[in-house]
Amino acid sequence: MGEAAVFFLHGLAYAGLLFLVSSGLTLVFGMMNVLNFAHASFYMLGAYFAYSILHYTGNFWLALLISPIILLFIGAFVERYLLRKVHVHGHVHELLLTFGLAYIIQEAVKLLWGTTPQAMPLTGLLADTVNFFGVVYPVYRLFIFCLSALLGLGMALLLFKTRIGIIVRAAVDDNPMVDALGINVPLVFMGVFAVGAALSGFAGVAAGPLLSVFPGMAGAILVDAFVVIVMGGMGSLGGAVLASFIIGELQSFGVLLFPDFSLALIYMLMALVLVLKPEGLFGEKQ
Amino acid sequence: MMASRNAMLRRVGLVLGLVILAVMPWLLGSYQLRLFTEAVIFSLFAVSYNMLLGYAGLLSFGHAMFFGWGAFSFAVALNHIPGIPLVGALALAVASATVMGLVVGVLLLRVKGTPFALLTLAFNALVFAIGIKWQSVTGGDDGLGVVAPPLHLGLGQINVSSGANLYYFTLLIVGAAIAFAWYFTRTAMGQSVLLIRENEERMRFLGYNTHVSRLILFVLSGALAGLAGAFYAILNAFVSLDAVSIDMTTKVLLMTFIGGTGQFLGPVAGAFFFTYVQNFLSDLTDNWPLIMGALFIAMVLWVPGGLAGLAAKLSRGRSDDDQDGTLAGME
Repeated sequence: MGEAAVFFLHGLAYAGLLFLVSSGLTLVFGMMNVLNFAHASFYMLGAYFAYSILHYTGNFWLALLISPIILLFIGAFVERYLLRKVHVHGHVHELLLTFGLAYIIQEAVKLLWGTTPQAMPLTGLLADTVNFFGVVYPVYRLFIFCLSALLGLGMALLLFKTRIGIIVRAAVDDNPMVDALGINVPLVFMGVFAVGAALSGFAGVAAGPLLSVFPGMAGAILVDAFVVIVMGGMGSLGGAVLASFIIGELQSFGVLLFPDFSLALIYMLMALVLVLKPEGLFGEKQ
Repeated sequence: MMASRNAMLRRVGLVLGLVILAVMPWLLGSYQLRLFTEAVIFSLFAVSYNMLLGYAGLLSFGHAMFFGWGAFSFAVALNHIPGIPLVGALALAVASATVMGLVVGVLLLRVKGTPFALLTLAFNALVFAIGIKWQSVTGGDDGLGVVAPPLHLGLGQINVSSGANLYYFTLLIVGAAIAFAWYFTRTAMGQSVLLIRENEERMRFLGYNTHVSRLILFVLSGALAGLAGAFYAILNAFVSLDAVSIDMTTKVLLMTFIGGTGQFLGPVAGAFFFTYVQNFLSDLTDNWPLIMGALFIAMVLWVPGGLAGLAAKLSRGRSDDDQDGTLAGME
């Protein structure tokens, strides 16, 4: 019983991490119809920036604050000076551009920080364990889960309950009309992309102490995040929540129950969902 | 008048090209010939990829699953079926890639656009995962050694595992496959896929079964990629999981895009360009992907039609029956 609870919590922590990554991905896709291949690379950059900040200041909270802000600016820059330029050529070129960007970031990270995995040691409260219904459990994993729940909730409130959210959603539905109303639509899209990048930065900082920081970390999570947004339904936040939970738990219990097939299990489940419902769990029919 | 002169020029160009290809082993040293052979093999891989991307407007992030599947099928057939002739093993590789194309195609072609691209990526990852785990067959991380048997002809046998013999054998079979792909895109079947890309609804109203047309193209593309994979195995005398990795998919995507998706020979140019530039850059620096990535982004930004698009732009004004150098169908 105790062991199952630990694995459930492990799954929950990974689900939180996956949601942090895939929420930004799904936000950018849902709002701008751009599949950002560099999203996981932003996540990796977030982790490496956090690693450096932690290395020089010793303060994790500072890393958690500053690293996403740096990513916010990187995201804004990428949208303004690269993505916008190829928009006229259509979605494939937008996608290919982010693809090339991922290629570059991958190499740049190796060049700047080396190829050996780096640990991000935690101190204080975050390094502690708690007694959680009779199970001794590290605080940090619970923290990741809470952080992702909080950010997810905040994002939903922002999108569906505020004026900013109304403008963003309207800009997606009827771009010329919103433009005619005097709202700077390109700025809105730049903002959406930047926020997506910042979210991936948060995910990267959160992942650092858990998985350590290494150049392969982008590739490792990219496919999982793609599975999440396909399974949940492209562009659906609710779908991303559910699919993150399923994939997170499947990863965790898969390792416990079928150590040889845990990797394949996820793809098989995805294929099953696809056969039954091609548009994903919460997706809209094409 | 103009058209017949163009046709003449084309014929002369074709003959000249074939002559140059035929004398390559006398012009190049063994290392350079091997590189050239590799570029020929990747040409087929890129051409097969462009059948999806350029002709059907299907962006795939999983084409290496066919390439690797073909390579491993070839190696496994040679290792486990005693006395199997070279042609038999090649045929088996193509057949198994065809079956795989059918299975994967039926599942994946139900969705279009970005979800399709993502699912091909996930399937590629699945095949890779199988490759790692199924160690007894694939050799896992160690890969498999491949000793290509000699090619049996009526009178005797020829060793085609390296050098000029391998080059000619590759040129013959891979060249024939590329020619077949070209022929296919000119048939009514191939052209209908092009029209489906432009306006699927209208084609359905005209009575075409668009799903079946797309599936046939997908399967053929997979089979040709499998053949390319088998030749890649002969060339290296070895198959590793690298052949089925996402990196291999990345490679073919870069080749195809750099060459240009708008014209049939664009990907061939891209395969040669990529193979030689990679070879050159990796001699200079270990961080060659950084330069390659920057080059790729520069092309996406400023040369959206690729090398073929650039060539078409430079010679604009001449009559040209090839299709336009832009991508469509990803909505």
